[in-house]
Amino acid sequence: MIDGIVIEKLFHKGAEASLFYGHWFGKEVIFKIRSPKIYRIEKLDKKIRIIRTLNEARALIKVKNYGVNVPQVYEIDTENSTIVMKYIKGEKLKDFMHSIEVDKKKQIFNEIGKFIAILHKNGHIHGDITTSNIIITPIQEIFIIDFGLHNYSDSVEDKSVDLHLFKRVLLSSHGTDYKNCFDAFLGGYSTEYGRAKVNESQEIIRNMIKIETRGRYIKKEDRK
Amino acid sequence: MKLKKVLGIESTAHTWSVGIIGFDGTVYSLVNDMYIPEKGGIHPALVKEQHLNNFMNIINQALLKANISIHDVDLIAFSKSPGLGPILKIGAQAARMLTQLLDIPIVAVNHCIAHIEIGRLMCKIEDPLTLYVSGGNTIVSAYESGRYQIFGETLDIPIGNLLDSFARDIGLSHPGGPKIEKLAFKSNKYLSLPYVVKGMDLSFSGLYTAAKKLLESKDYKKKYNLNDVAYSLQETAFAMLTEVTERALAHTEKKEILLTGGVAANKRLQEMIKYISAEHGARFEVVPLKYAGDNGAMIGWTGLLRYEAEGGHTVLETQINPKERMDQITIPWRD
Repeated sequence: MIDGIVIEKLFHKGAEASLFYGHWFGKEVIFKIRSPKIYRIEKLDKKIRIIRTLNEARALIKVKNYGVNVPQVYEIDTENSTIVMKYIKGEKLKDFMHSIEVDKKKQIFNEIGKFIAILHKNGHIHGDITTSNIIITPIQEIFIIDFGLHNYSDSVEDKSVDLHLFKRVLLSSHGTDYKNCFDAFLGGYSTEYGRAKVNESQEIIRNMIKIETRGRYIKKEDRK
Repeated sequence: MKLKKVLGIESTAHTWSVGIIGFDGTVYSLVNDMYIPEKGGIHPALVKEQHLNNFMNIINQALLKANISIHDVDLIAFSKSPGLGPILKIGAQAARMLTQLLDIPIVAVNHCIAHIEIGRLMCKIEDPLTLYVSGGNTIVSAYESGRYQIFGETLDIPIGNLLDSFARDIGLSHPGGPKIEKLAFKSNKYLSLPYVVKGMDLSFSGLYTAAKKLLESKDYKKKYNLNDVAYSLQETAFAMLTEVTERALAHTEKKEILLTGGVAANKRLQEMIKYISAEHGARFEVVPLKYAGDNGAMIGWTGLLRYEAEGGHTVLETQINPKERMDQITIPWRD
């Protein structure tokens, strides 16, 4: 153990990585460690872990510059597939959802839409937008986390898929709130995106609806 | 009072199957007739012909095995979705004929939901996250707010289709999955292949193309052989399935995992899913092979669950729907 770096306790065990809370030269941090997955053969496993660690750290650093709230990266260790980043105190949106009013929810989803539009405008695809990957701090700031499936793309298709996946999560996990939340999200998305290119954001949303009808066994989603 | 019985008809793809099952979950008989193509894949018209020639015979065999007369049947259930249209129609028509002939109720059943329900019955499992992997479907699903929600699924071809298509390309007959498993078992040389996970969804079509390209490369049979390609294909595809299952498990926080569908028979896939179950402290169950593949017992059982919850369907409500998603259907018998 190096002086100044203390891993204190397991904070969250995710599907892909474990988050440990600790201190890094006096700062409160999260150590995001992608441990080996024994079910995958070593060669494949190592490749996936290194690529995702590097990719995530680079993405976090880049998108922070555009003004999106993401954790500050302090250190990257590819050998142990670990990222050391700032600890964000708050609650997952998933757990926060049922304790807030509809209007507040709409406001939050509107803000999220704006952040995602900033990512997309600048050619970043989050790849895994879910209500588990959004943190609400005690002063109600919104942080986007987990860029493990992030990639770079400027294609309408990739951006539409990003939105489509989020819609699916809202439908499957928060069915009753889905419409209010997703409409507010698209509102924020269009507003923020539109400042630069109105047509493109509309095209992305249109294409997202097309993707749904393209899916397996799907009619147009007609649930209210 | 004698125990009531349901006759379930499965007819979505290459299997025509009839199961007779008691209202308490006892399976009295299960008889399958499977179309096996001489070459190529499943041609709907040829499957239809075989099913049309055999359907009454299979129903009779199931009755004989259960040692009952057709007049002892109290309810008819059949698969109305999803599947190949011409084949779904045969099941629907046979079921409508029986319900009118015998004057007993009829229930139309979604095939994917039936896979989960028979798994819950056979494995005595309450509320699982289900990985359903077959030639026609690749779905990660769990029960949430009144429906079997789909958390992850393939964006293009199903896993069984990937394995069968690849097997066909290398000259192996249908079904290809078990044969690829045998080839893969003989290698431990991994060749890099595309690994495509998008959130909790998967894509296998690029993997299929890349595996085929390995066979066309000039290095084939020099630097690596067929076993190595089969091994790499299986390792990549199954690691993708396991990863999305683990993601869905972390997301839904379910405490049980159910593995079902034809590809559930693969030992390597079982091993991988078992590993993540243990890691998350979830109970792991594989549906017994007889009930993991397409079968009439699962249709019968799911039909009676719906019948007991909200009664039968009218004949007008028994229209087939080849493209119905399982998450479009409410589940009145849970909660």
